[in-house]
Amino acid sequence: MENPTLKNLTDSNFGVPPPHQNEVLQILGAPHVQSFNYMLEEGLTMAVKDLNPVEFMMGERRVRLTISNYTIASPCLPFGTICVKDTNIYPSECRQRAATYKGKLLIDVDWYIDDVQQQSFQKDLGDIPIMLKSNRCHLSGLSPKQLVRRGEHEQEWGGYFVIKGHEKLIRMLLMTRRNYPIAIKRNGWKQRGALFSEYGVSIRCVKDDQTATNNVLHYVTDGNAKLMFSYQKVLYYAPLCLILKCLCNYSDRHIYLRLIQGCEDDLYYVDCVQKMLQELHIENLHRTEECRTYLGRMFRVKFHECPSWCSDADVTDFILKRCLLIHLDSFEDKFSALVFMTQKLFSFAQDKCKVEGADSVMMQEVLLGGHLYLQIVKEKLQTWLFTLRTNLLKTNKVGGESSVNQNDMLKAAKSTGGIDHALELFLATGSINSISGLGLMQDKGLVIMAENINRMRYMSHFRAVHRGAFFQEMRTTEVRQLLPDAWGFICPVHTPDGSPCGLLNHLAMDCTITQHPDPLKVKNIPMVLTEFGMVPLKYGEIVDVKDSYTVHLDGKIVGFIMKKDAGKIADKLRLLKIQGHKVPSTLEIVVVPMKNTVCQYPGIFLFTGPARMMRPLLNLYTKKVELVGTFEQVYMNICVSPEEAYKGVTTHMELSKTSFLSNLAQLIPMPDCNQSPRNMYQCQMGKQTMGTPCHNWDMQAETKLYRLQTPATPLFRPVHHDQIQLDDFAMGTNAIVAVISYTGYDMEDAMIINKASEERGLAHGSIYKSEFIELDHVSSYFARNPHEEKLNRYLEEDGLPFVGRVMREGEPHYCFYDYDRSQYIVKMFKGKEECYINSVRLCENIGARNACKIACLTYRVPRNPSVGDKFASRAGQKGICSQKWPAEDLPFTETGLVPDIVFNPHGFPSRMTIAMMIELMAGKSAACHGLVHDATPFRFTEEDTAIDYFGKLLVEAGYDYYGNETMYSGVDGREMGAQVFFGVVHYQRLRHMVSDKWQVRSTGPINILTRQPLQGRKRGGGVRFGEMERDALISHGAAFLLQDRLFHCSDKTDAFICSSCGTLLGPITVIKRMDDRRNRSETEEYCRLCQSSNNISQIQIPYIFKFFVTQLASCNINVKINCEKM
Amino acid sequence: MSEGSSKDSSTLKTPMVYICGECHNENEIRPRDPIRCRECGYRIMYKKRTKRCILFIEVLL
Repeated sequence: MENPTLKNLTDSNFGVPPPHQNEVLQILGAPHVQSFNYMLEEGLTMAVKDLNPVEFMMGERRVRLTISNYTIASPCLPFGTICVKDTNIYPSECRQRAATYKGKLLIDVDWYIDDVQQQSFQKDLGDIPIMLKSNRCHLSGLSPKQLVRRGEHEQEWGGYFVIKGHEKLIRMLLMTRRNYPIAIKRNGWKQRGALFSEYGVSIRCVKDDQTATNNVLHYVTDGNAKLMFSYQKVLYYAPLCLILKCLCNYSDRHIYLRLIQGCEDDLYYVDCVQKMLQELHIENLHRTEECRTYLGRMFRVKFHECPSWCSDADVTDFILKRCLLIHLDSFEDKFSALVFMTQKLFSFAQDKCKVEGADSVMMQEVLLGGHLYLQIVKEKLQTWLFTLRTNLLKTNKVGGESSVNQNDMLKAAKSTGGIDHALELFLATGSINSISGLGLMQDKGLVIMAENINRMRYMSHFRAVHRGAFFQEMRTTEVRQLLPDAWGFICPVHTPDGSPCGLLNHLAMDCTITQHPDPLKVKNIPMVLTEFGMVPLKYGEIVDVKDSYTVHLDGKIVGFIMKKDAGKIADKLRLLKIQGHKVPSTLEIVVVPMKNTVCQYPGIFLFTGPARMMRPLLNLYTKKVELVGTFEQVYMNICVSPEEAYKGVTTHMELSKTSFLSNLAQLIPMPDCNQSPRNMYQCQMGKQTMGTPCHNWDMQAETKLYRLQTPATPLFRPVHHDQIQLDDFAMGTNAIVAVISYTGYDMEDAMIINKASEERGLAHGSIYKSEFIELDHVSSYFARNPHEEKLNRYLEEDGLPFVGRVMREGEPHYCFYDYDRSQYIVKMFKGKEECYINSVRLCENIGARNACKIACLTYRVPRNPSVGDKFASRAGQKGICSQKWPAEDLPFTETGLVPDIVFNPHGFPSRMTIAMMIELMAGKSAACHGLVHDATPFRFTEEDTAIDYFGKLLVEAGYDYYGNETMYSGVDGREMGAQVFFGVVHYQRLRHMVSDKWQVRSTGPINILTRQPLQGRKRGGGVRFGEMERDALISHGAAFLLQDRLFHCSDKTDAFICSSCGTLLGPITVIKRMDDRRNRSETEEYCRLCQSSNNISQIQIPYIFKFFVTQLASCNINVKINCEKM
Repeated sequence: MSEGSSKDSSTLKTPMVYICGECHNENEIRPRDPIRCRECGYRIMYKKRTKRCILFIEVLL
């Protein structure tokens, strides 16, 4: 699509669902859905195979439990539900019923006694949440028409879960790139042990089933290297050479030669290696077997998984397999990888190579929802096996027999429960409760709600990537910085301001997340490379390592390539990659070159794995599109336009000038003409706009939905707007704007709205609120009390309000028969605002054993613009409506046009939102000529300016070139001296409205402890009157006002003071009988310190002062107050 | 329940009409009935819009 058009409105198929879904929109959900599908189809099978079998002694017998198979079913009604045509459950139903969209998980459990297999059995682990549009979802593969039939939008892209009626999305987190050893300097590492330095080579190892763990090779300042591995969140350190010796049965000489291969000149390093090897012998560990037994013996206590009968060496095997470089299967590969890491570490520690921060995008990948889900399921299955063991041991205790039979096993399995609750809880709260930590830095905030405030907000959730909650508290700004290598992957514009700035980012439009590659193609790569001239690793001894690159394929060292051949081989491989037949097209080929200066540690790194960010670029040699990764891009020469290309140097070109922007940033009109923070503000405000969040209003049960009643399509918009079909979810209105300082009510970012325009529907809106009413008891039911006649006015026979009724505070809300109390109960409506009943739904909670009656009430709260509501143009120019000015008093143009909105010209000079001024002209010319103009950035140049283009169009329409017009005062009709900038601007109505914000109080609820007013609007509290406000009143000398605010309306109390001893604490009130009438009592104040009641007087003080005096008294401090008679 | 049922039997003669969210069939449902469409077994029922005059009722009263 070249230019935006309005043809979609006149199309004969308007309103008819298209045959296929929009590709651009499907991209939004793709990474989520693909990762979940991977879990369903391959990941979980691998994970189940990879589970540790649970082995234990039961009496004299060895019992082993494993899971052999699993199935996940699509969401459907419980088996045996009768009288139902369609047993499938669709997401729309779950949303409306506040249910979870989930499918059954069944596992087959195999068990062995003394290695003899027993009859395996199937176990139902409950219903686990299913991602929408994944292979287990009923929406997968449906056409737009069928989707609409199922109550969804025609462009539904899925990727989220429906949990208790809410749409939940697993947040994409930026993680360290998998299987690549990174040189990191971290001051905190010095605290890890004696002599530890800040230098280390860290690697995040990820297996095929997405299990992840971190290993760090630390440099210890005495020339040693220690390897960190973790098990169940506890970190352990082992000397490098001990691990090397445990891994492979090599001679010391071989290990020595391998370690120093290529670094023979580095005398310090050679020394260190020798010393490290000697140290083992000093510890009396000479041979591999001795090392293995030693390591196993040391760690045995910590590794409970290993049954009591396995040897120390078996424990070592377990550690090496489960905790060390887990992405590599064979011990030889682990050995080679460790050797590479050691060489990198010592080169790094001696400042021979540069540090590679984990904060740059080139060292990052994305944690996808499906992958995290897979990890959690895997861990829960493992814990399930352990619980089964515990239960089995328990049942056995009761029986007193030592052997286990099928019955015992089934009984234990029955009492072991499922894992459904844990998964649902994870998605509902976003926090995990994990033993291993899953290789994550955080255990909270992993799931977000996909709020559907408007289309922009909803879309942005799916492309958001977060750096991690851990970094939010960091005081340094390093992690928040936008580094050059993020170009094209992370949008530089779309990040919020404030605390999450730079941590919450959004993927650029063209950025894709890689899927799992075809394993056959990955297998080809070493062969292809050998064909091209790589020396495989097994012949590693014959190559001159100093003059060649080590080749890594997904963290595994596959061979060496001579320095002179590297470029050629990489190019050849790149050609194969572009073809995509022999090697995967998502292959990332990184050649970190050897240089004479200090730079990144060299090598050739090939990545095929999933979850990497890649983007398409035009390869200038082949003229074909190639996917380029984050690490790869750093060593490439890419031009934006053909003129920039240097011959022989530039290899790639951008596909479009705007693809570095995110989905929302691409919707800003002409962002290249704005001051940069204004574009950021628009990205924020676009997400808070009232618009059209959905089309299936009757099938929504969201707590709050904002709706703009009279939206219009912008007349000046980027092509992207049409590409994502934003017209279907319109937001904002085209307003006639006069840039003039007119009444004085438009100063300081306030704006004036034409009262007549507002009455005709400008920015009219409403809020749809839904509320679920669930009765407490199974036998309670909704019904109107037949004995109360006056309820008939408000409720129908079923005890619920009639659809269309006006609801007011204090009127009957609903009525039900309470089984517990055996009476009808009427609840009153609590909402402060008047609203209408939009729909009343009755729902049944199927499946649950004691399902109570549920009703869902949806209210419509009318919210037409009022003074105090917030509006914004699409250039980050927000303002509050300060007056609704009568149309007859507003200025008018020569043609008699009256503005809808009066915008104060002082908003322009400091903010420099030229795009808004261009929009004003463009909108005006578009309206005159019946066009829609393109606002895509970088289309105009300095020579051919946008102002000139639209100016000429305006002249053609009979207006002034610059869009100025002569105006006449609305009050007295005189012509105004100044020309007024006058045109059409697309205005957004933001969801912040006074009705949700107003807060007023004189006296009211107080804090029990301090007796000062409460905080918060909901509780009827006050607005804080702080120090600054106090200072202002003092400086004005407004003493009475100050006393009123801080004393009378706050914590005024009456207290007694004894003026002779000057304390507040001395006087007490004594109750005694009256002298004259003995049956009555009277009170008298009496100072216990002075033993008299003479000098006591009553004063008014802030309660908090009395409280303070009491508190001081508890510290044995007396406060003495000097009193004077007044 | 015993008390409620005897009391209500007289008053619950006229069941309310609800519309099925799936097949749009009109169902008569009594307060204690399960919420199920008799045609298709769907589990969400919509209440019909009232025929009462809402707009001016307050003005007249």
